[in-house]
Amino acid sequence: MKKISMLMAFISLLALADPQPVKLRLALNWKPEPEFGGFYDASLNGIYKKEGMEIEILPGGVGTPVIQMVEAGKVEMGISNSDEVILGRSQGAEVVSIYAVYQTSPMALLTHSERGFKELKDVFENPGTIAAERGLPYIRFCEKKYGFKNVKVVPFLGGITQFLSDKKMTQQGFITAEPILAKKQGANPKTFLIADSGYNPYLTVVIVRKDFAVKNPELVKKFVKATQEGWRNYLKNPALANKTMVSLNPTMDPETFQEGAKAQIPLIETAETKKFGLGYQSKERWKELASQLLELKVIKTTFPAETYYQ
Amino acid sequence: MKPMVRKVVLPLIAFVAIVSIWEMVVRVKWISSFILPEPSAILNSLIEDREELWGALKTTTFSVGVSFVLSLALGISSAIILFTSETVLFAFYPYTIFFQTVPIIAIAPLLVIWFGYGIPAVVASGFIVSVFPVVASTLTGLLSADPNLKDLFKLYRASRWQSLVKLYLPSSLPFIMNGLRICGGLAVIGAIVGEFLGGVGVGSIIDVARAQQRIDKVFAAVLLASLLGLLLIKTIDLVSYLLLRNWHPSEAKDL
Repeated sequence: MKKISMLMAFISLLALADPQPVKLRLALNWKPEPEFGGFYDASLNGIYKKEGMEIEILPGGVGTPVIQMVEAGKVEMGISNSDEVILGRSQGAEVVSIYAVYQTSPMALLTHSERGFKELKDVFENPGTIAAERGLPYIRFCEKKYGFKNVKVVPFLGGITQFLSDKKMTQQGFITAEPILAKKQGANPKTFLIADSGYNPYLTVVIVRKDFAVKNPELVKKFVKATQEGWRNYLKNPALANKTMVSLNPTMDPETFQEGAKAQIPLIETAETKKFGLGYQSKERWKELASQLLELKVIKTTFPAETYYQ
Repeated sequence: MKPMVRKVVLPLIAFVAIVSIWEMVVRVKWISSFILPEPSAILNSLIEDREELWGALKTTTFSVGVSFVLSLALGISSAIILFTSETVLFAFYPYTIFFQTVPIIAIAPLLVIWFGYGIPAVVASGFIVSVFPVVASTLTGLLSADPNLKDLFKLYRASRWQSLVKLYLPSSLPFIMNGLRICGGLAVIGAIVGEFLGGVGVGSIIDVARAQQRIDKVFAAVLLASLLGLLLIKTIDLVSYLLLRNWHPSEAKDL
């Protein structure tokens, strides 16, 4: 009996010294790449732990149904995009965005620079093929704005094979990865940001269930704070997180990680984030995006902008 | 129980029960309609998107049909070629088994590069996954002809051609029909996978609807693909019954 009570005392002492961290799972929508650097940094440097949480980062892949996973409670947090959040909400998903990594969307079209294009609209006005994920709203936006009279849009197969195998091929990609890989393979890509068309969703946003955010406001605040710190570290010195991510995703070489991390800085750190902090989301941007999607007829109704994020 | 009750009424009751429970579970929000859309939402998508779905279904039916016919023709004829010579048989038979395990989803992107976007890549994908079961089952059928009959054919000095047409092919017919049932189901799966990347047909709708978070439309398209597969398999069943009912025990019962 005495032994048991001593043991109990010891356990409670342990618990006092080191309160059990809250365990949370964060589902990524892609393999570990520089776009997730800040999350890995915050995890590796113990920043989340300092805030009393333990974040398990779950890598994703092609078609990982992150919104569905969050909605079903399989994970507490997930990585999505702001247009996906608005589409999901219109289908009944009760999710909310709490942090936006990219202020400017890194989604871009890669063209062969030999074709001499000067701006995004040239890509659509000259005969050629565009490999894109045709379910994504950006390509509909471009169709409406520029028209597809001169181009043929084919499914995007991932990677850069399509781009390399055809001189008249344009393909989608993240400015932080595909152009760097294409250059390595001997191609000479000229890249245009989709954001220049006027369609600029927040990419790589962290989503949680609405009821989770309502029940755990402090936890969400702490997560955002720790994530900001992780991203500040990663923007300055990506080496540590990159090393871990390379081991988790060996298909991308260390050099590309390094270059990608550098290329994405201006998309993450903007005048607005310098004023309001990294991960900032503005009501105007959410509102504009929702009305763009409504106009594209990919959703039938919108919600008040402030219900999409917090 | 009357056969009518057993064959029509009971499955109907089961269907209505399952669909009602499904609808209810989503309506009372035990499951979010965003995770599993309720039957009425799927029906709604079938009606609302009917033009798009119908056009896609026609394309997919064409591709599946071409894949199936190619598998049937090339599958049976390559099995016969393998059968004609023991050397050829031993040389190639292991590969017909090996190629059945090709993970089509992994090579589908290459098919698009090799054959071009659209229907050619889709047919190639449907054909690759559906041809080997035909080869394997036809070959098994050819190899399991009745030894007594083989002796009889030898005794009467039947030519190789006569033996093939009058003995080996008829006796392998039940095996071929079984192979074709598998082939039909796989041709649909292979074609849908091809369409994810080829960018046409029902598979393309599934791919696009998924990116747009239209889970109801994904289910509507999946339902159509399944019905297509079912229709194909039922047609093969019917042909098999007509061909075999008079002499083979496997079909000597009512359908």
